[in-house]
Amino acid sequence: MITDANTVPQGACLQADICVVGAGPAGITLALELSAQGLSVLMLESGFLDEDSKTQQLYEGDVAPGQLHSPPDKYRQRRFGGSTAIWGGRCMPFDPIDFETRPHVPHSGWPISYDDLLPYYPHANELSEAGRFSYLAEEALGPNALPFIRGFESQCVLTNGLERFSCPTHFGKRYAKRLRLAPNVTVLLGANCTGIRLEPQGHSVRAVDVSTLAGNRFSANCRATVLAVGGLETARLLLASRDVAPAGVGNFHDVVGRYYMCHIAGNVGRLLIHGPRENVRHGYEVTPEGVYCRRRIAVAPAEQRRLGLANAVARLHFPRITDPAHRNGVLSGLFLARRLISYEYGKRLNDSSHATSGIDYARHCLNVAADPFDTTAFLLHWLRRRSLAERKFPSVILRNRTNRFSLEMHGEQIPQAQSRVLLGDKVDALGMPQLHVDWRYSPADIDSIRGTLDVISKAFLVSGTARFDYDAETLEEDLTRFGAYGGHHIGTARMGSDERTSVVDADCRVHSVQNLYIAGSAVFPTSSQANPTLTLIALSLRLAHTLGRRLAEPLQTVKAAEACV
Amino acid sequence: MKVLILGGSGHVGGRLLQIMAGDAQYRPTGASRSAPSHGLPGIQFLQLNTCDVPALTQALEGFDAVVNCVAGNAQSIAQGAQALVTAAQLAGYPRIIHLSTMSVYGRAEGTVREDATLSPELGWYGRAKCEAEDSIRAYARQGGSAVVLRPGCVFGSRSELWVGRIARWLQAGRLGDLGAAGDGWSNLVHIDDVCKAVLAALSLHIGAHEQPVFNLAAPDSPRWNTYFVDLSVALHCTPVKRITARQLKIDAYLAGPPLKVANLLFKRLHWPTSALPDCMPPGLTALWAQHIRLDAAEAGRQLGLGWTTYVDGLQSSAAWAARSTTEPPIKGAAKWTR
Repeated sequence: MITDANTVPQGACLQADICVVGAGPAGITLALELSAQGLSVLMLESGFLDEDSKTQQLYEGDVAPGQLHSPPDKYRQRRFGGSTAIWGGRCMPFDPIDFETRPHVPHSGWPISYDDLLPYYPHANELSEAGRFSYLAEEALGPNALPFIRGFESQCVLTNGLERFSCPTHFGKRYAKRLRLAPNVTVLLGANCTGIRLEPQGHSVRAVDVSTLAGNRFSANCRATVLAVGGLETARLLLASRDVAPAGVGNFHDVVGRYYMCHIAGNVGRLLIHGPRENVRHGYEVTPEGVYCRRRIAVAPAEQRRLGLANAVARLHFPRITDPAHRNGVLSGLFLARRLISYEYGKRLNDSSHATSGIDYARHCLNVAADPFDTTAFLLHWLRRRSLAERKFPSVILRNRTNRFSLEMHGEQIPQAQSRVLLGDKVDALGMPQLHVDWRYSPADIDSIRGTLDVISKAFLVSGTARFDYDAETLEEDLTRFGAYGGHHIGTARMGSDERTSVVDADCRVHSVQNLYIAGSAVFPTSSQANPTLTLIALSLRLAHTLGRRLAEPLQTVKAAEACV
Repeated sequence: MKVLILGGSGHVGGRLLQIMAGDAQYRPTGASRSAPSHGLPGIQFLQLNTCDVPALTQALEGFDAVVNCVAGNAQSIAQGAQALVTAAQLAGYPRIIHLSTMSVYGRAEGTVREDATLSPELGWYGRAKCEAEDSIRAYARQGGSAVVLRPGCVFGSRSELWVGRIARWLQAGRLGDLGAAGDGWSNLVHIDDVCKAVLAALSLHIGAHEQPVFNLAAPDSPRWNTYFVDLSVALHCTPVKRITARQLKIDAYLAGPPLKVANLLFKRLHWPTSALPDCMPPGLTALWAQHIRLDAAEAGRQLGLGWTTYVDGLQSSAAWAARSTTEPPIKGAAKWTR
């Protein structure tokens, strides 16, 4: 059942086996899985089936030191389906090395291994509509798959890895019917969780406070509560719930909100691949089951360990869009149309490092005028394969005319306690303190990408297939030009076995609270090279399994309107 | 046991005859309006109008049981069942095993057990099947012994409806991954499991005035999208297409009626209808989005069925579909119209 929270009687106390706060990919995955196990689920979703500006405003906050992080109400959506309403759909699992304690990555190491999560990845792939759980080119594309770059071979640099693309699937739209039909699931829309109330001793959740923007107030008292509200909101909710624990729930050791990570990303250098253009697979390929996928370049784990590198991945990319020197009509067209593109997708078309001059604009216009056929072909392809398609062509790919590319880097950020989110001075419409984001990166993050680029460059040189060079002086600028990678909010309630340096245990349970769990990328202790969505879905499936085991004797239905004890 | 199989030239009836012929404890006889295209050596076959009570009464003489696999139009289904009940009463009350359908549950969604309310809301087919069940219930009330089987979608070798036709749509790029429009449960059940259920029903102990009903669907049968993608990949119809809800509607509502008319015209002119693309009935596209899941636990418990796994069923279905491009579809295959 999906219903409006304003239909719940004022002051009611709802009961169920499990209260899931947030209906994004983590919450929806959890609710479906828990329901399949016969557990009753009360799901509290702040937003509605469509975007609601007043609800979205509840995400507002501020950022320090300013331009390095997007405002907190960008790249996330407070609505049914969460940020899958706007995500790009890139799926790839974490690598086994991501779970290891690596001496060269401070604060690394998960209390679970890749093998612990592996059983849940195939279903996560399925829910994401990303096809089979198969991320090696020869396995996913068949034995006749052509190599990424013909003739390139290296023990240190791997090029047979793939990333897959979801439709991108809007979890709210895609799974609404399943949730509506699940006999033991109640989804309340417009239900904002405004506090987690603990028992006086602070060891268990007594109730979850719920408010609607229309003024209804009620609460939920469930056998277990799961916060599935995203990497930023998790910290906000824990920190703002301080009636019993003055520092906030689960924050005895001042870890909540710290170790905040995104990814280090940017376009770097110049790559020239020798030989004919047919030797290179630079764009999207389609797997037999119809899923777009793309090759990526990664440093082998043994080499990462040997050289002390954090995990990272590189993809072939086109030249910097903002610079008209690329003389490409499609790129110039995108640049000129950037104000028509949403903030999240237009950001990389706005180069904040220098103002665009009138001459630049004129050169962009000239590029478009000089390249009418390619621009028209691009627009037609975009219309057919993206705008009108349900499985959307994932991104702009240009025709390879010259075998010249840049490398698009996407690197793990090394966790550091100083990078954090905390409560700000302002409050939102419901009286909740807003977030203050203080995201930081370190020189080690840049150095690690530098090391990765050097390994890749050397491997290309040794193989004789390509030449790569980059400007070491501008590397940091290249990697921070667009600030923290948008939408990847990681580590604010990290998982660990030591409660002095973590918030949740290996089962995603808050150390100090026996019935409070966290789903989502907030619990990732490290950020990997991979985008977080697939892994947070896999981890949610694992959490559902854990909860099913722990709550073996279910209540049958959500009981409404009972008085809270 | 002497068993008469009505609809013996159809998919289920034909396979049932084949299985029974290999088992010494049965002496099966097939019956249908027309002679089977694939005759079975040593098996007697009657040409019979199943709505004709005297003929049916005469045919039933000496049989211990009759299996009703009759498909066809509303008349053959509903009046055929009524005629069968009348004839069976006159012929000494042999046991009736009646093949019904999940369509009797109408637009129900969620997990559906056999005691769910029947709903004749899905066009003539669902209505006729509900009426047929009414007749069988009346037979049981009057002292007859009857078992009703309600299979989901019967796949496996020679399934024209749920393999052959689907494969052709996949090959033509008219079907693929449907997203939310293909999120319904397929309720696939292997043809051999349906036959096993019939054999078990023939010897099931039935108490006085009882009339057991069993849903038949493999517990691991997936959602439609999974089946479509898996069958596509198995048939090398790749890459699998993502079909939008809009495309599906255009196919069913705009292309469907002219194709249907062309089909009728071809039949009238005795031209081969296999030359025409299959039309996609709107009712079928609705089924793919219907989250109905048959609970077949009772069949497992009382009939002792062990289900063919989805993987095995898919394999045999795909192998047949791959071969069938060079073979004509079996004669007398039932129509699915809702």
